[in-house]
Amino acid sequence: MSRWIAAIAVGLWLVAGGGASAQETVKLGQIEAQTGPNAIYGWMSSQGVPIAVDEINKAGGFQVGGKTYKLQLIAPDTRGDPKEATVQLKRLLEEEKVKFVFGPFLSNVFATIEPYAAQFDGKILMMGGATRIHEFLGKPGHDFLVRAWNWDVGPSGFGELMTDRVKQQGTKKIAILFQNDQGGKVIGDIYTDLFQKKGIEYQIEYFEPGTKDFSAVLAKLSAWNPDYLFPGYSDSAISDIVRQATEGNYFKRFFLVRGSLGPGLKNKDELDDYLVYVPKYFEQAEKTEPKVAKFVAAYKTFYKRDFPYDQAPLCSSACYDHVYMLVEAMKKAGTVDDVEAIRKALLSMTYDGLWKISFDAHAEQIMNFDIVHLKHGGAIEVTPVDPPR
Amino acid sequence: MTQLLIGQLLNGLIVGTLYGIIALGVTLTFGITGIVNFALGEFMMIGAYSAWYLADVVGLPYPVALLPAVAIAGLCGLAADQLLFRFTRDNLVNGLLVSIGLISIIESGALLSWTATPKEMDYVLSGTVRLAGIGLPKMRLVVFALLAAVIFLTYVGLMRTWLGRAAYAYAQNPEAARLMGVRTGLLQSGVFVYSTALAGLGGALYATLYSLEPFMGGLYVLKGVEAAILGGIGSLSGALVGGLILGVTESIGAIFLPTAFRDAYGLIFVVAILVLRPGGLFGEGR
Repeated sequence: MSRWIAAIAVGLWLVAGGGASAQETVKLGQIEAQTGPNAIYGWMSSQGVPIAVDEINKAGGFQVGGKTYKLQLIAPDTRGDPKEATVQLKRLLEEEKVKFVFGPFLSNVFATIEPYAAQFDGKILMMGGATRIHEFLGKPGHDFLVRAWNWDVGPSGFGELMTDRVKQQGTKKIAILFQNDQGGKVIGDIYTDLFQKKGIEYQIEYFEPGTKDFSAVLAKLSAWNPDYLFPGYSDSAISDIVRQATEGNYFKRFFLVRGSLGPGLKNKDELDDYLVYVPKYFEQAEKTEPKVAKFVAAYKTFYKRDFPYDQAPLCSSACYDHVYMLVEAMKKAGTVDDVEAIRKALLSMTYDGLWKISFDAHAEQIMNFDIVHLKHGGAIEVTPVDPPR
Repeated sequence: MTQLLIGQLLNGLIVGTLYGIIALGVTLTFGITGIVNFALGEFMMIGAYSAWYLADVVGLPYPVALLPAVAIAGLCGLAADQLLFRFTRDNLVNGLLVSIGLISIIESGALLSWTATPKEMDYVLSGTVRLAGIGLPKMRLVVFALLAAVIFLTYVGLMRTWLGRAAYAYAQNPEAARLMGVRTGLLQSGVFVYSTALAGLGGALYATLYSLEPFMGGLYVLKGVEAAILGGIGSLSGALVGGLILGVTESIGAIFLPTAFRDAYGLIFVVAILVLRPGGLFGEGR
């Protein structure tokens, strides 16, 4: 009788997967805003990561040290709320024991979670696109950070190149209108310095998050007769700004380094110029790059809906490519647990996926990107840029 | 500079009518039911999302979508009144608590239905009218005209019709009005629903100018309450004037002072007026 019980117990254990010791799971966490006013920073990453996880798992997982691993993604929606994100990160790190975190893309979220996340230095890897991550890179106690987006300044900085481009348009004066928060202040500081360096006069105004009526500040800025309006930094505000600026005849020319092409396209008949940094202009890249075409098709199959061309460029931060990069790094390091070794392997690679991605000495991403120039009526000119690495 | 000032004065008046329509709802509800309905901003949000959904998703022409959107906000107001506010009549604290609870419920419903990602309605009327070198978007002028007309008609309705006079009578002396045959329960419900429909109208028009978010009502109800207090609670003309003053103060203030603190300018003005006239501009002195 006891032998029968033992046999049944062993059978149940095998059915439950206990015998599949060769296949284990690596947990990935993601803390991004999937909804909310600032969801443009986070939504596409939260769309791209599950596709990569699904592809890797469906291909049978990946092998490290003779074992086969599959990925498990835990991706709560922060809604861009720092308090919500802190609770979610705590759950990911302490309850789920996640070692690899994708995100955040939002600076206000990062600024709030940073002191908590820093307690796990050496035990976790956090790949986020937040602008404020930059100032912590290379600092003691912050080896857990990898910034998964291009930086604005420096020889590889897209901001430098964008500023040169706007200057080529004959710009002498530029009006800046940013959100009065962590992200807005940091970007404001970066670009006022850059404009000063390049000899462009600027005037800057900040608006409170949640502002809907921009007509007064637009009128005030336009009275200074600048050549371009430089609004930031999320589409929810930029949409209202571009609409009201063109409707009220305050501005017809726009320069953007954060935000998408969407607000420009929506108002294409009202504006003259919309010069925007776009990590990748997918509409064109889909026709010329097989990897992009494959990703677009995979997206449509996975989500059973149209591809979000306007949001897709933001998959350049902690998204589809980065899952594959992490897996490659684990294979190269021969471990799924030794975070230091995985980080080292990750930072030493140049990955050729949707983007060509590498990292600088401080763990900041360098990637190719596009400058998109939308003109009155919708004509588009794309300039691909591969910054020096 | 003069052009800039005049332009912002006009723009402030337009924005002020949006505050005014909410202030009108606040003052009407308070006068007749004795509660301050902080959830009015949510009825504005319901009107806005309904208009957006009917126009952009269902595909109705905007003028056709406008009326059902207002009706939806009014029907939601009727449900709120019959299920909740009916039991809080003339009880300021209970009414306040219920309205705050209702804000959470409606906002959560909107979040579940449409997420917090902003929705932007397609242009209803594009183009600008130029007046003495000042450009004013056509749709803003239409919104201003419609809201001003509705506020004016509400005023006339309350002054000239039996129902309006009954409402006034009730606001002044509920007991006497009841004795004169005014069906007070029906009157209170009617005014409550009308206020929510007004907020819904404000929202449906708002949707043609700005992007929509589930939390949009919070800011506008605060402005509405500010405007109602500024004008003097209970005064219909005060609600409109209060809204206009707030709108103009914010628009003009943003020209001379940092825009980041724009919301504070109107508030400073409210405090200053209340110090001088505690009952508001059109209210009783004390």
